[in-house]
Amino acid sequence: MKLRSTTPVRLTALASAAILTLTGCMSSGADGTEGSDDDTITIGISLPLTGDFSEPGKGVQRGYEAWADHVNENGGLLGKQVELEILDDQSSADRVAADYEKLINQDGVDLVFGPFSTRLVVPAAQVAQDYGFLFVEPAGAAEEVFTQGFDNLFYAAPAVADDHYDYLADHIEAMPEAERPKTAAFAAMDDPFAMGTAYGLKTRLEEMGVEVVVDEVYPPNTTDFGSIAAKVADSNADMVVGGTQYQDAVNLIVALQQLDYQPKMAAFSTAPTNPEFPEAIGDKTEGILSPTGYTPAAPYESNKEFVDFYTEKNGTPPAEDEANAWTTGQVVAAAVEAVGCADPDPECQQQLVDWLRDNEVDTVVGPLTWDAEGRPQGAHLIQQYVDGEIRIVLPEESAEADFIADKPAW
Amino acid sequence: MSLLLQSLVLGVLLGGLYALLAAGLTLYFGVMRVVMIAHSAFLILAAYLAWFFTSSTGLDPLLSLLVTVPLFFVLGVAMQRLLISRLRPATLTMMSVLLTFSIALVIEGMLGFVFSGTQRRIRLPYGGQSLEFFGANVAVVKLIAFGLAATSLLALYLLLKKTQFGQALRATIQHPEAARLVGINTERVAGYGFGLGLATAAIGGTALSLDSTIYPSLHWHWIGPLMAIIVVGGLGSIPGAAIAALVLGLGQSLLQIPLGTTWAQTFFYLALFATLMVRPQGFFGGRLAQRF
Repeated sequence: MKLRSTTPVRLTALASAAILTLTGCMSSGADGTEGSDDDTITIGISLPLTGDFSEPGKGVQRGYEAWADHVNENGGLLGKQVELEILDDQSSADRVAADYEKLINQDGVDLVFGPFSTRLVVPAAQVAQDYGFLFVEPAGAAEEVFTQGFDNLFYAAPAVADDHYDYLADHIEAMPEAERPKTAAFAAMDDPFAMGTAYGLKTRLEEMGVEVVVDEVYPPNTTDFGSIAAKVADSNADMVVGGTQYQDAVNLIVALQQLDYQPKMAAFSTAPTNPEFPEAIGDKTEGILSPTGYTPAAPYESNKEFVDFYTEKNGTPPAEDEANAWTTGQVVAAAVEAVGCADPDPECQQQLVDWLRDNEVDTVVGPLTWDAEGRPQGAHLIQQYVDGEIRIVLPEESAEADFIADKPAW
Repeated sequence: MSLLLQSLVLGVLLGGLYALLAAGLTLYFGVMRVVMIAHSAFLILAAYLAWFFTSSTGLDPLLSLLVTVPLFFVLGVAMQRLLISRLRPATLTMMSVLLTFSIALVIEGMLGFVFSGTQRRIRLPYGGQSLEFFGANVAVVKLIAFGLAATSLLALYLLLKKTQFGQALRATIQHPEAARLVGINTERVAGYGFGLGLATAAIGGTALSLDSTIYPSLHWHWIGPLMAIIVVGGLGSIPGAAIAALVLGLGQSLLQIPLGTTWAQTFFYLALFATLMVRPQGFFGGRLAQRF
């Protein structure tokens, strides 16, 4: 009897405690917003600081923090200091959604920046979309990011995977027909990003009449590249293109060298721009091409300032992850300065989104504009090993070295 | 024609490497019914040690075998005596999967902690060189790996067939109780058998490191195909593992031409599936007890 009478009381107590907690959270959120309206702008971010993507995740964190310091040292955003609130999502897609939910709902942040990796960008963008937040992200080059119907998303990098080789394709197209490669061999990892890069170029080359003589797709767990290399070598294609990540590109290149296959042009995504690459391949890198989203040597106006500031702060020059994070900051800051607001109010967020749709932003990776789904409308720089060093060769206005059309033997 | 010949050559070389990598796995099972999931993790550990040896001394990675082979042998004996022998015989096979799975995770985590997740490759002056053989190219490093495989498998076979220890080991495999009755210290023999298996992992890992990029989690890509090889070859049979490895390596390499990489890799699992349906004990050797 006694128990029966206390149960409803307990339930009521629990419910009221829950309500109190909820309202407490809400009001503290509202307070936070009002507080930040005064002197700070709080930016909520969730990053994979542990787990599978922790290496790039930490790079993005360094980029974001450097950007915030730089902004604060130069008078802040709209005259207010910028404060970052960074959570660790442990590389988990469930966790990242909960993190953005918390940042927006409970912590009452004014703006959000995106996480790292396509796998985390998609669920995070969904939360931002639900709350009407602008969502600029530093890592989501795969096509699936742009086909989910997000109208608040912008990818802060020069190009999506399909367009990485655009400058190379333009250059080949501009060559006299007799000098163009006649045949090309493709090998790509079965991965949306890696395949996207190779097939973007494949489409362009086919339009020019280049014959595709090998078209191999291999699973990410492939350990033996001898057979793929044998097919490419047997075709004796003028050009070999790898849609690759790091280890498969290195293994494939060595396997091709072992078969004494000598293409006139060789292009691989990702690996050649990695500092470990020349260490792995040795002195046989000459003439190898690769698209890259960022290089500290890029001639864009704000880039030198970024490289100097970052190098002074961290002791090493920034890499691509750091640059993409910085670019995200630049893009959001440009919209905030232009519109003149930075608060969680849907009206302000919508103004920011609308402004980015219609305007071009100058960043450390060049001027950026976007299509309706948030794809950047640019291309990656093309780098090539020239005299043992990787240098920008295309487009010509950014080139540090002349394009080597006939690759030396490897 | 030249592609066919080239693929044949590559297939044989690949098969040789597979045989070496799988040899230890079939030995553990033959001697102790232990399913050693960590075998491929030890391969990668040996590959890392070879890389570390070469990058810090500048000497040829093959020299690291002088240290890693005895080291792995001792490690194997210790592992068998301290861990495996404590598992209850009734659940040995299943529990060994769990135990060695955790050992694999420990090795992977340790490699990541010590050497970071960065992908490494030994840069050899002869890494890209090849010899010509009737119009097909034979990479020097692949040839060395094949030579290592052939030598160690032959040595293992002779050891098992011709020495007193080999006889004791085979007796232990065939009938442990009878072996004990004739005075064989089966506990110690099993420990040495495990050590021998791990010593082949040292050689296999070094052979692997000559021609591939290594990273801590690479071992997960190897354990599946290696398991398939020893099941097709017949658990516990070294010649069976060698023949199955050659057949599967050649098959993979030749099927690559018409089918592409993804389907060529599936060949392993189709072979495994077919073996389990048609001849669950494997294609080579008779009953498990009469292998080698």
